[in-house]
Amino acid sequence: MSAASPAATPAVTLRRGGVRVALAAVAVVALLPLLFLVSLSLRSVDDIANGGWLPSRFVWSNFSAAFSTVPLSTMLANSWVVAVGATVLTSLVAVPAAYVTARAGARGERLQAVLLASYCAPPIVAVLPLYYLLKQADLTNTAAGLILVNGLANVPVAVWLLDGFVRRVPVEVEEAGWVDGLSTTGGLVRLVLPLLAPGLVAALLICLFLSYNEFLFAVSFSQSTGSQTLPVGLSLFQGDRTVQFGQQAAASLVGIVPMYVLAVVAQKWLVGGLSAGAVK
Amino acid sequence: MTQLTERRRERTRAGVPRPRRGSAPDGTRRAVPGRHRPGHVPAWLAAPSLAGLALMLVYPTLFVVALAVTKSSLARPLQRFTGTDNLVEAWESLAFAGSLVRSVVFAVVAALAATLIGVLLALLLHARGTRFGVVGTILLLPLVTPPVMVGVAWKLMLAPVGGAFGGVFSALGFPGANPLGDGVGAFSALVVMHVWQWTPLVTLLVFAALLGVPGELREAAALDGAGAFRSFTNVVWPVVAPNVFSVLLLELVIGLKVFDLVAVVTQGGPGVSTIVAGFEIFRTGMRGSYEIGTAAAQTLVFGLVVGVLTTAVTLLRARAVKADR
Repeated sequence: MSAASPAATPAVTLRRGGVRVALAAVAVVALLPLLFLVSLSLRSVDDIANGGWLPSRFVWSNFSAAFSTVPLSTMLANSWVVAVGATVLTSLVAVPAAYVTARAGARGERLQAVLLASYCAPPIVAVLPLYYLLKQADLTNTAAGLILVNGLANVPVAVWLLDGFVRRVPVEVEEAGWVDGLSTTGGLVRLVLPLLAPGLVAALLICLFLSYNEFLFAVSFSQSTGSQTLPVGLSLFQGDRTVQFGQQAAASLVGIVPMYVLAVVAQKWLVGGLSAGAVK
Repeated sequence: MTQLTERRRERTRAGVPRPRRGSAPDGTRRAVPGRHRPGHVPAWLAAPSLAGLALMLVYPTLFVVALAVTKSSLARPLQRFTGTDNLVEAWESLAFAGSLVRSVVFAVVAALAATLIGVLLALLLHARGTRFGVVGTILLLPLVTPPVMVGVAWKLMLAPVGGAFGGVFSALGFPGANPLGDGVGAFSALVVMHVWQWTPLVTLLVFAALLGVPGELREAAALDGAGAFRSFTNVVWPVVAPNVFSVLLLELVIGLKVFDLVAVVTQGGPGVSTIVAGFEIFRTGMRGSYEIGTAAAQTLVFGLVVGVLTTAVTLLRARAVKADR
């Protein structure tokens, strides 16, 4: 921001101004749909019908109305339980797997290749088989079923991100531990894991977002009113013509804002983790 | 997708020995009796992820093949063997053939657009400095928004009454225009929404790659009189190209998975104009007439298309990266 370069010629100043204007435009485009949601959520039915961008008068009732029109609190609770549970499962599976992909040579690289191939397959491929499996296990319409499916589905992403972080831990750190009598697994838990923390935070947050946002599995396996997650509930909201725009916007915001807060607070780790994990 | 061989080369260069399996203790380390040899990665660490793969990849693949050659209902799968009936049915369904084409077009167009715009944005951000900054934080928001809610937000914006663009459309001479009302408009609108959501991922990853371009190289190029464009093509591009191709592949994979937006915004309409393969398979198997067998056969065909497409791009990427060296 405080660009105090010694030779700030008019051309350079002009160029910097241009870059700044362009970036501001980008920010506006990125925020536009979200700001429009905020605007809608604060307007009455008539105000929305009149069109325009800004509320003529602020109305707060959409938020309370959304909670009574649909079981919004149940959906929110379901979404959070599924997202947190799935993220825990993902980390339990992905951390040892990332250690293998990073440290086990050719075997590790084979595992990595298969995991990435499985990520390339569209999830629709697994929907019918998993439906029968979950039904057999009595896990349809339960949070446990979605936790299992989402948790495992996100493993490739987590391994992909964590692999780079494990590689950056010098083997010498572990060797010192082995000499002191630690097993490989002991070294992983006591020495490597603490050093993975920044990457782990990023990977877990991304898996949390992915599970929280997931729709296909949720709409296929958990349709009962009691087990619906927020995306499923909101998608049904769409077909229902009696529900007003203002309430839809309010319900969406209630669902997204906590995630936005998380993303902004953890911005440093997210950006660092994504870039370090993905750019190798 | 990843640069496996490159990485291997890198490690040998760095002088880090590759962990060897089954090699005898070389004397420099003490062998601890009754324990795993130090440095040996125990196989069971991979067990949870292998179990996950069995559940999420192997079992579904085998089961879909079984479903595709049998008659099934939602309540009772695999009732009797029907041979190729389901495949023929899937193949003859015009809706499905069209949906395959639409999926591929959607993914290719969206991936190219997101990659192009994302790279330009990354260059723009990089022109300002080495920090991702406030704009970077703002760019994270579309990325973490559930696609269902992206659809809701854009659908509300595009609504002919009460939408955001009513005034804009009137000013342009199209009062009451409804982009979601005709096929091409609805398909394009979905592409725009998807690109809006996924471009930031490209920007983020390419920006990180740009930070890896050695500053001395740029300075040397500038001293030699290279302008911004020459400096980009000769210095920056060779370094970031492998990452850009990886991101393009990632975007392609994400585009082929699109489902949420269609389900929320258009339900496949108007007519069949926005029915993509994922949505058509869902509609056939999990809704309406519950034609499980046909849906399974469609799944096999779609899986094949995805496999061919991603393999082709992977090979292209490998060639491009090699050419750059």
